Amino acid sequence: MSSITFVTIVSSFLASSVEFVEAVTIVLAVGVTRQWRSTLVGVLAALVVLALLVAVFGTAIVLFVPIGVVRLVVGGFLLIYGLQWLTKAVLRAGGVWAKHDETAIYESEIAALRAEPPVPATGMDWISFTVAAKGVLLEGLEVAFIVVTFGASAGMLGPAAAGAAAAGALVLGIALVVHRPLEAVPENGLKFAVGVMLTGFGTFWAGEGIGIDWPAGDAAIPALLAGYLLLALLGAYLVGTRFGTGRMRVSAGGRGL
Amino acid sequence: MRYVRGFFGFWYDFLVGDRWELFAGPIVALFVAWLVVRASVPAPITGALLFVFVSTIGGLSIAWASRR
Repeated sequence: MSSITFVTIVSSFLASSVEFVEAVTIVLAVGVTRQWRSTLVGVLAALVVLALLVAVFGTAIVLFVPIGVVRLVVGGFLLIYGLQWLTKAVLRAGGVWAKHDETAIYESEIAALRAEPPVPATGMDWISFTVAAKGVLLEGLEVAFIVVTFGASAGMLGPAAAGAAAAGALVLGIALVVHRPLEAVPENGLKFAVGVMLTGFGTFWAGEGIGIDWPAGDAAIPALLAGYLLLALLGAYLVGTRFGTGRMRVSAGGRGL
Repeated sequence: MRYVRGFFGFWYDFLVGDRWELFAGPIVALFVAWLVVRASVPAPITGALLFVFVSTIGGLSIAWASRR
C-alpha cells in the first residue's frame, strides 16, 4: 500500500468518524424514544442515497474531468473546507468557542421527539424514519463531500470510500452496543487532525492545479502538514492564553465540538 | 423557486457559512499564486508563498472570530 493510499484512507476514516458520531447521536435519540425498525430503515435509506452520490459524482469527476482541473477546483474546495475545520478546532481548543456536547444534543433531541404524536401501533413510524434519515443524510453529506474531493484529487475514490465506510461501521457498531451517545470520542482532536490533513493536501493539489511544481514532488506534503500543524498548535496556545484557559484542549474533546 | 433558494442556501451555508473570509481568502490566495507562477518565479518560492497566504488567512479568521 502506497503512502498516499494510506493517508487517503486514514483522512477519510478520521473525518467520517467525527460526522458519524454526530449522526449516531440523532439515530440513538430517535430509536430509543420511538421505534427502532423505522429508525434503522431511515438510516439505511440515507446511506443508500449517500453511496449513490459518492458513486455518481466521484466517478463522473474522475472519468470526465481532466486531472489538472480536478486538482485546482476540488483541491481548492478541500483547502477551503480544511481551513474551516482547522480554524474551528483551534478556536475550540483555545476555549473561544464551546465544544460540541453530544449528551446535551441527545437530551434535546429526545425532548423534541417526545412532543411528537405517538408511535403508530402497526406499520412504519414515519417520524422516526424522517428524523433518522435527515440526520444521517445531513451529517453524511459532509462525509460524501470529503470522500469525493479527497478521492478525486488523489485518484483514490475507492480507498477514500473504504475509509468512510469503515468509520461508519465502527461508530454505528459501537453505538448500537453501548446504546448511548459517544461522548468519549475526542471529537475536537479528530477535527484538529483532519483539518491539518485537508488543508495540507488541499494546498498541495490546488497548488499543482495552478502550475506549482512542488520541490521534491509528493515529499512536499509532509512538510506542508508539519507546517500547518505547528501553526495551528501555536494558534490554539495563543488563543487559549488570551482567553484565560491557559492551555490547549486539543485532545479534550470528550464532549465534542 | 423555494427549492432553488433552499438548494443554493444549503450550499452557501455549507461552503461559506458565517465566515466568508475562509471561502474568499483561499480563492484570492490561489489567484495571486497563479499570477506568481505565470511570472516564472521559482517553484519553491511560489509554494512557500501559497503556504504563507493560507496560514495568514487562517490566522486572521481566528483573530476576527476571537474578537466577535
